[in-house]
Amino acid sequence: MKHAALPEIGISQILGLVELLVGKGGREDIYKLAGELSMELGETLTVIKAAEMLGLVHTPGGDVVVEDFGNKVVDASITDRKDLIREKLEHFPLFKAIRDYLSSQEETEVTREEMLEKLAELIPNEDAEASFSSIVNWGRYSELFGYNDDSQTFYLGESRAE
Amino acid sequence: MIPEAHTLIELQHVTRRFMLPQGEVTVIENISFKAMEGEFISIVGPSGAGKSTLLRMMNGLLPPSEGAVLYNGREQRGINLDTAMVFQNFGLLPWLTVSQNIELGLEARSKDVVYRRSQVNRYITKVGLEGYEEAYPRELSGGMKQRVGLARALAVEPSLLLMDEPFSSLDVLTSINLRNELLDIWSDRENVVNTMIMVTHNIEEAIELSDRILILSNRPGKIAGELRIDLPRPRRKRDPLFSEYVDRVFSLLA
Ligand SMILES: Nc1ncnc2c1ncn2[C@@H]1O[C@H](COP(=O)(O)OP(=O)(O)OP(=O)(O)O)[C@@H](O)[C@H]1O
Ligand SMILES: [Mg+2]
Repeated sequence: MKHAALPEIGISQILGLVELLVGKGGREDIYKLAGELSMELGETLTVIKAAEMLGLVHTPGGDVVVEDFGNKVVDASITDRKDLIREKLEHFPLFKAIRDYLSSQEETEVTREEMLEKLAELIPNEDAEASFSSIVNWGRYSELFGYNDDSQTFYLGESRAE
Repeated sequence: MIPEAHTLIELQHVTRRFMLPQGEVTVIENISFKAMEGEFISIVGPSGAGKSTLLRMMNGLLPPSEGAVLYNGREQRGINLDTAMVFQNFGLLPWLTVSQNIELGLEARSKDVVYRRSQVNRYITKVGLEGYEEAYPRELSGGMKQRVGLARALAVEPSLLLMDEPFSSLDVLTSINLRNELLDIWSDRENVVNTMIMVTHNIEEAIELSDRILILSNRPGKIAGELRIDLPRPRRKRDPLFSEYVDRVFSLLA
């Protein structure tokens, strides 16, 4: 099965965008926003798309509008934000596929090389190295996956039963 | 200001000179000010005005040439372990992991490894770095690197947090996020640190965060003015009162 790649934008930028929008009353014209931030339009769109993938905003017409979930995340404490984002990511098909893959391994861990191969299969049209680093980042933030660069092992995070 | 506010740090007629090959230069001249416990103060001023020098005298890294720095009413001599510093370029050691970098500041203060580890874990949680414990700085975005810098400073539970342009190497969106998180940390009563002094070039940033802004003039650095920001938080740039404060800081800088 083919999967959509994860946003290649870090969580801090995404949260910053949503916080900025909340401060503006929850809605802004995308073109105006890019101008005000002195960011390139393309770059602004990449952050907005990442925020949209996480369900924090939506983009009707030329505007970007904060979703209820976005407001909830902005209002939450630093630790609660992580929990909210983790719940989202847990339901991403790509994250599920990676978790199933790691679960099928005896030690629920694989080498970096093995993971790169798996990613080439899961998201065939993306640069596997780039996908790897964004999965490591999102995996760490959500604590769903971990990676140790000394041993070059990628592993399943400790499960959080709720 | 609450009437019984306690003076945490006080500079009394502080002057700092440096010997250069071409002779002696006065970088800071006769600066006096007090920071009350619980205050968030920003220092703004042109490049070279002596802002970083001022911070280094506040944490005791650098002695004043004249005058005195009083901490809790006592003259400060040598490095003050009740302060911690956050740097523009994070100040992380690239060969150490996130946890090890955070533990660094604690090593000078405690030999108790169990205590150090528990402090590291506590502040990793506070700044939202759980999951990054074994990452190296090279694997982190700027925002995450500065969270490490912040956790390292907070982990020693200083009473005074000194920050030298903590957001200026971050992109615009990341710095919005970190400013908000810093305010959350500042207002969190569970945290020991509730007095913060920050150097910044960004006037809007100073107005957004501070109770009071000190404006330094250049060569030698003197206090050109002081401004109390009486706006409720969160502060919005669109607020006309906010713009008025921007104008007032600019006029004091000019
Ligand atoms: N150890 C030192 N020896 C000699 N000169 C120094 C020393 N430290 C600072 N200076 C000089 O003192 C002046 C003020 O430096 P400082 O770094 O405090 O300024 P600043 O306001 O922080 O500037 P910037 O905004 O560029 O960071 C500069 O001219 C600098 O060259
Ligand atoms: Mg400086």
